[in-house]
Amino acid sequence: MTGLLAIIILGSLILIFGLRIALQSPNTRTQSPSITLEEFANAREALDTTFVEAAAIERIFSTEDMEFISHSSSPQARRLFLEERKALAIQWLRKTQKQVAQLMDLHFRLAGHTHEPNPRFELKLGAKYLSFLLVSYFLLFLLWLRGPFKARRVVAYTSHVAGYFCTVFSLRLESINAVHLGPDDSDPDTGV
Amino acid sequence: MLANFVWWTAIALEVVILLRSGRTGLLKKYPLFFSYIGCVLLTEILGLLANALAPKLYEPLYWPADLATILASYAVMVEIFRWSTRHKPGIRRLTQRALLTVFILTVAYAASNFVNGKFGSPSRAVAALGRDLRYVEAGILLLMLWLLQRYRIPLGRNLRGLLIGYSFWVGVNVVNLALWFVPGNEFSILLRGLLPATYLFTLGIWCVTLWSVHPEPVQPAESRIERDYELLAGKTQAVLARASTRVARIMRP
Repeated sequence: MTGLLAIIILGSLILIFGLRIALQSPNTRTQSPSITLEEFANAREALDTTFVEAAAIERIFSTEDMEFISHSSSPQARRLFLEERKALAIQWLRKTQKQVAQLMDLHFRLAGHTHEPNPRFELKLGAKYLSFLLVSYFLLFLLWLRGPFKARRVVAYTSHVAGYFCTVFSLRLESINAVHLGPDDSDPDTGV
Repeated sequence: MLANFVWWTAIALEVVILLRSGRTGLLKKYPLFFSYIGCVLLTEILGLLANALAPKLYEPLYWPADLATILASYAVMVEIFRWSTRHKPGIRRLTQRALLTVFILTVAYAASNFVNGKFGSPSRAVAALGRDLRYVEAGILLLMLWLLQRYRIPLGRNLRGLLIGYSFWVGVNVVNLALWFVPGNEFSILLRGLLPATYLFTLGIWCVTLWSVHPEPVQPAESRIERDYELLAGKTQAVLARASTRVARIMRP
């Protein structure tokens, strides 16, 4: 039964991907893998934000504040504090996931632009990204279930892997000559 | 009556596709794909002749013809990979080797099962090999579709049409094969009934998208991004090793 289900999923995924390709514009301009100056600037900005926020993120998961609140405040204040920290932690994790996804997208497009990408390197990076996704979604579940203070080890792992991605892409972006990138086609007034 | 209509329409569409490709020059560009269409056409004509003139021959001919079609269909995938990686010779060599290895492994697996007497008759062995190849083909096709979308590899209109029709046909076939052996499944019966119509639809897609030659998207000129790729890959691997050590240290209890 499991095999049957796997094959049905396989066939359905092929149909979905085929449909997606069919729905994409045949216009070669929209298919072009070129990267615009705006995307490049956004990626740089996302990286800088991640590095700057490192200290604040440490604080969200720090047990010191929790210990202080537990000793000196009412149960209601403690509950409010926990709810606030939980919301902040989830928000941080979702933002990190989004930033890493943006960077990966940029990387894929750069690799698509390259004449001879290194398959082994691409495979390794892909595996690393997959493990990051799995751990971060597990962490998201853990945060939602048990709050930020009981998930510290997974937080440390996620934070370090996100840091790894940022270092990788930082190195990559450092080596890109912005002059070679395509101009941003969007209208500055309308944003379209 | 309806079955005959579908059969003749399919033959007519295949003939149109082949004739048109000869005229436009696409036959030379995608020889493996048009060999597949030719192979399907040949098996259909042979099936029709056997059905009309020697019905006893129809059954023994069916499975070998089906296997030949699936083998030819595997070649279509080679063709799509060959064209989508035409600007990346290294990747092209790698994918061709991988496709050949997977193909040899699948045939070897089926052959070993046959030698060990797992199948009662050659026709059952052929049917099992056909099914296994279809599943392998589907797995590779899914990977290929994902890679094409992920890396946003630009495809020309002709290649896109070829890929869309092929994905549709393989996808429907795989779901149909999976549900084939589920007893009393109404969806399976419905899907089996619809299969000839889906084949006609696939032929329609190929007929429209391969009617005339469309230019392939031009690969952008070599830029610094490309020249730096090897250097970046080396740097990134070093960072990966460092990060892995750090992560291992953190995860240690």
